[in-house]
Amino acid sequence: MLSRVADALFWMSRYLERADHLARAVDVTFHLDLDLHGVLANPVELEWNALLTLLRQPPPPVADGEHPVAAVQRWLLLDMANPGSVMSCVNRSRNNARSIRGSISPPMWRELNKLHWRLSDPSLRGRVAESPHDFCQETQLGVLLFHGVCESTLTHDEGWHFIQLGRHLERADKILRILDSKFSLLERGDGVDLPIRALQWGAVLKNCAAYEAYQRLYISRVEPERVVEFLLVNPDFPHSVRFCLTRIMQSLTAISGRLPERCDDEVVRTVGRLLNDLVYLDGTSLDGERLHAFLGDALARCARIGHHLHEQYALQ
Amino acid sequence: MTDLSMRQDGVGFTVYRAEEGIERVWPMDPVPRIIPAAEWRRIEAGLIQRINALNLFLWDIYHEQHILRDGIVPARLVLQGGYFRREFVGVNVPRRIYIHICGTDLIRAADGEYLVLEDNARTPSGVSYMLQNRQVLKRVFPALFSDYDVLPNDDYPAALLDVLQYIAPESATQPTAVLLSPGMYNSAYFEHSFLAQRMGIELVEGRDLLVDGNRVFMRTTRGRQRVDVIYRRIDDDFLDPLTFRPDSALGVPGLVNAYRAGTVALANSIGTGIADDKGVYPFVPDMIRYYLQQDPLLNNVETFRPEIPAQRSHVLANLDRLVVKRVNESGGYGMLVGPASTREQREEFRREIEANPRDFIAQPTIQLSTHPTFVDGRLEGRHVDLRPFILCGERVSVTPGGLTRVALPKGSLVVNSSQGGGSKDTWVLAEGRS
Repeated sequence: MLSRVADALFWMSRYLERADHLARAVDVTFHLDLDLHGVLANPVELEWNALLTLLRQPPPPVADGEHPVAAVQRWLLLDMANPGSVMSCVNRSRNNARSIRGSISPPMWRELNKLHWRLSDPSLRGRVAESPHDFCQETQLGVLLFHGVCESTLTHDEGWHFIQLGRHLERADKILRILDSKFSLLERGDGVDLPIRALQWGAVLKNCAAYEAYQRLYISRVEPERVVEFLLVNPDFPHSVRFCLTRIMQSLTAISGRLPERCDDEVVRTVGRLLNDLVYLDGTSLDGERLHAFLGDALARCARIGHHLHEQYALQ
Repeated sequence: MTDLSMRQDGVGFTVYRAEEGIERVWPMDPVPRIIPAAEWRRIEAGLIQRINALNLFLWDIYHEQHILRDGIVPARLVLQGGYFRREFVGVNVPRRIYIHICGTDLIRAADGEYLVLEDNARTPSGVSYMLQNRQVLKRVFPALFSDYDVLPNDDYPAALLDVLQYIAPESATQPTAVLLSPGMYNSAYFEHSFLAQRMGIELVEGRDLLVDGNRVFMRTTRGRQRVDVIYRRIDDDFLDPLTFRPDSALGVPGLVNAYRAGTVALANSIGTGIADDKGVYPFVPDMIRYYLQQDPLLNNVETFRPEIPAQRSHVLANLDRLVVKRVNESGGYGMLVGPASTREQREEFRREIEANPRDFIAQPTIQLSTHPTFVDGRLEGRHVDLRPFILCGERVSVTPGGLTRVALPKGSLVVNSSQGGGSKDTWVLAEGRS
């Protein structure tokens, strides 16, 4: 397949995954904010600033008379001046898709296009100031529809695998970031009561669409160690880092047409080593500083995977 | 409802002067235009005759130039025409076909006769709208299709692929064809990707291709892959910076030499622009008589050539009633529609015609036929034209129907999509039902 097409498929998928995560994060933070409003002194600062830090974004400009939280929500969801906003990501995803429309199935393009138009609807956008919930739900639903259609209408050949690569690499990166930022935040949150910490860790799970799946597996209160374990090394849950890397490895294998142990390229080596570290990870050894170091290292390796991928397949 | 349908499908036609952004949905009118079988038979035969003559003309002027030496077409008109490629004199193109894809604009005069307004023999667009309009109409009015026997037009992409494979170099047993597009900012980009997808071929841009040892390759995730046929939707000028415009970033350096060497086929060929030049247009009926010894089945619109002194005085005296066109322009840009013009515009054209009479032709303002069109909740008459699509490969075929363009503003005669036109589905009825 054309290198340019592979590149556009990869980024179409990656930007869409980014929009999905951001929409979920805003929605979760919005509801957490409502929950904590009465019990913490300044939950607003705590949670919204944590989200901005996670995204490596400075506090956004606040318009005259605008509530600071409304400004953050607008900036993260709607603002085209923010290249990382949901709207910008959907737009970039759609532009990538447009440049290679012949390489995706017509229903995929339809779904992506419908998402773009729905999110451009003035009445939906107008409601964000009051509650971002509908907008965030539309975004997540649109992304799911897109991948559902992709799953059953696009041949699972090379192009499909580049879509999977973009999606899972972005997802692994986001889960690691969420864990890293929340962990250090909550470590410092001494003196906070148990129910509230449970609420906050529940939010971490919800950020990764993992709350119900966690409950079903552990049937217990949300425990930080288990959250880390679940999101890092669970082999079967789609929003665990290990699951994502397994999928990445499968796609790389399919693209190269060779078994992983026969591959001699940097991409497969980097993915394989990180995957091994996760598979044989001793969960009990990770606390505080060591966890932070592990997550930071894993993030850097994910970045290297993206880099090697571009070199290997002459992506632009 | 059709608008919503088109919007979800993202059918856009980029208009160069649109200020609201690069993408605008081209409006589709839900009322189909119906052509009876007998009427279509005559149109079809006339179009086949015409493209055969144009292909013979192109072969001739790039080789022996009989038609010029016999004085049927003025030699100067061809040899000094902006679209004549002297670099291609003597080059043998695959299967001797120059125009593989042609979109010919027809209008229907007051007496019902179809006349040829112009041939589009370079990179005609619009065929995707023909196909898409049919899809939308089937979705919106399924019942109508069971009441009428409408000839399907869905075979076009398959027929086009047949043509592309037919012209591939003989050494290629399983030829690889690609569609070369200027990219997503081109006004017809939607059509490029639509056709590539329907044919199952790669949609490439200039930067995806490279020429090595006079052979063309595309850059893929598995390295280079050989390309045998290119359906190019880039004008001659931008095709190859080494041969034509050196500032073109859209083209492929070395492509023209590879084509000359016969290692790759191009559709359409290079240099076809001289056949649809507005200056050459008045001579097409003579070409048909000259090459085919037949009378034209489809006539031209009456055309005046200001370079002939007697005709020039007629044109200058009647600027307020004529349509004046520049011979090197297309797409409805740079023309004067007499009845709708201001005194200043007419004076400007008068000065230009007097200075460069060869650069213009003039035609009577034809009252295009009107067709019922859905406007503000009711049906009103709007002016229409018709662009059927002709494919020339092992045989010549015309897809039943074509693209009916409609001038949406009341009274307007300009149907170009770039100037506020819309389109309609076009139905050719099966024999025995009309």
